[in-house]
Amino acid sequence: MADTTQGVTSSTVRTRPKMSSWRQFKAILTKDIVMELRTKEMITSMGLYSLLVLVVYYLGLSQAGSGFDIELIAAGLLWLAIIFTSMLGLNRSLVHEKDQGCLDALLLSPIDRPVIFFGKAVGNLIFLLIVEAFVVPLFYFFFLTDAEVAGPVWMLLLSLLVGSIGIAGVGTMLATMSVNTKGKDFILAVLFVPLMFPLLYACVAASSAVFLGDVAFADGWVQAYWSALGLAAGYDAAMLLAAFGLYEFIIGA
Amino acid sequence: MTDANTTYAALEVRELSRTFGARKALDGVDLDLPRGAFLSIFGPNGAGKTTLLKILSTLSSPSKGEARVLGLDVVKEAVELRERVGFISHNPLLYPDLSAEENLTFFAELYCVENPAERVTELLRAVELDHRRLDLVSSFSRGMLQRLSIARALLHDPELIFLDEPYSGLDPHAMDILDELIAKIRHEHTFIMVSHDLQKGLELCSHALILAKGKVVLFADKELIDDDEFAATYRSTVGLGVS
Repeated sequence: MADTTQGVTSSTVRTRPKMSSWRQFKAILTKDIVMELRTKEMITSMGLYSLLVLVVYYLGLSQAGSGFDIELIAAGLLWLAIIFTSMLGLNRSLVHEKDQGCLDALLLSPIDRPVIFFGKAVGNLIFLLIVEAFVVPLFYFFFLTDAEVAGPVWMLLLSLLVGSIGIAGVGTMLATMSVNTKGKDFILAVLFVPLMFPLLYACVAASSAVFLGDVAFADGWVQAYWSALGLAAGYDAAMLLAAFGLYEFIIGA
Repeated sequence: MTDANTTYAALEVRELSRTFGARKALDGVDLDLPRGAFLSIFGPNGAGKTTLLKILSTLSSPSKGEARVLGLDVVKEAVELRERVGFISHNPLLYPDLSAEENLTFFAELYCVENPAERVTELLRAVELDHRRLDLVSSFSRGMLQRLSIARALLHDPELIFLDEPYSGLDPHAMDILDELIAKIRHEHTFIMVSHDLQKGLELCSHALILAKGKVVLFADKELIDDDEFAATYRSTVGLGVS
């Protein structure tokens, strides 16, 4: 048998290195991305689910008749698809840690708990944006090819980004809260949807402004867009601050 | 190990209690352990062994009382303490979808280990897994998982190592490797091990503790223990575990 005892204590680590939250954050984020690229568990399930939601929308609305202008409710439909899809992925992100007992390994490491939160939340945001990159063109193809969209694409993308930050942040916090409970899927949904309401309202308003323009916003759709986006950004900031302050308690509970 | 002149004890526990609802998992535990000791904790199921280990390793908080590990309060100085302790469990605490090397590199980054690549290579060699470094952990046997788990716990060269049933499910070869690793680092580390294996626990320890119903039944220096008497005391506690 080889000498298994060499190198167990190393002169390279005798003096305690200074902890770097940035290095720890990068490690968590890189690990989540590498694992997702390898398993494609979250992205595949979220992508397929969102496709199914769009198909159901399409079938449901196909009998609405020629007088029905789908553009009027397009923003709402898009955000509902995003919210439902995100719940599926957010739940997986923490359950994965818990199932393998790796959450304990994370908690045993000398890492400030908010760093875990930001590492997981940014990972979830990236996966959600990847799925949106697939869903939004598909949504356009299904429902808006004949419509005349008032605003530029970047305004829609900005509202998607601001909304996704809130979804990933709040979702990560709630997924952590629910991961130790028995009915984790149910608990996440019950907490997530009501908490998402202000963000959903703001994001639907911003996206509607982009889709409809002056047709629906007589006082100026650009102003309506920025007001709604400001509300969404304020919600993001408040919720991220709350998550930052509460995460130590939440993950330790 | 960071400072040879420091005078703190490995463990100072005063009136430590932990309740879950109405159930007392730990009830007024007092312990003192010098640095460099090897404490084996025995007790029936539900005695509070794992709860004690979780509190001492900062995974859980006490309901009452105080515990200091390596001179650091387990609640107020938890982050500093985590830098200096390692944890080996019967559960490997590794990511199955990452390779052995990726797992160790990830944890090396969390502990901000200097020269992580070098340290990972060193430890993979030490636990005889360097030939499987690129293989996914999901393809590892139980023994290999435990060896990799040992490497993970030693990455940051901890001063104190918690062992939660570390021999559970190991094949003889993995047991030999764990024995050798412990023997090698025994003189410069403190160990706190939870075990159901009386023989193995007594063989390794310098101090022994029996817990039952969350209380200390016996805590003594190994040199002052008669093995037969100790075994009889241990057996008498079995069956008292469920409160």
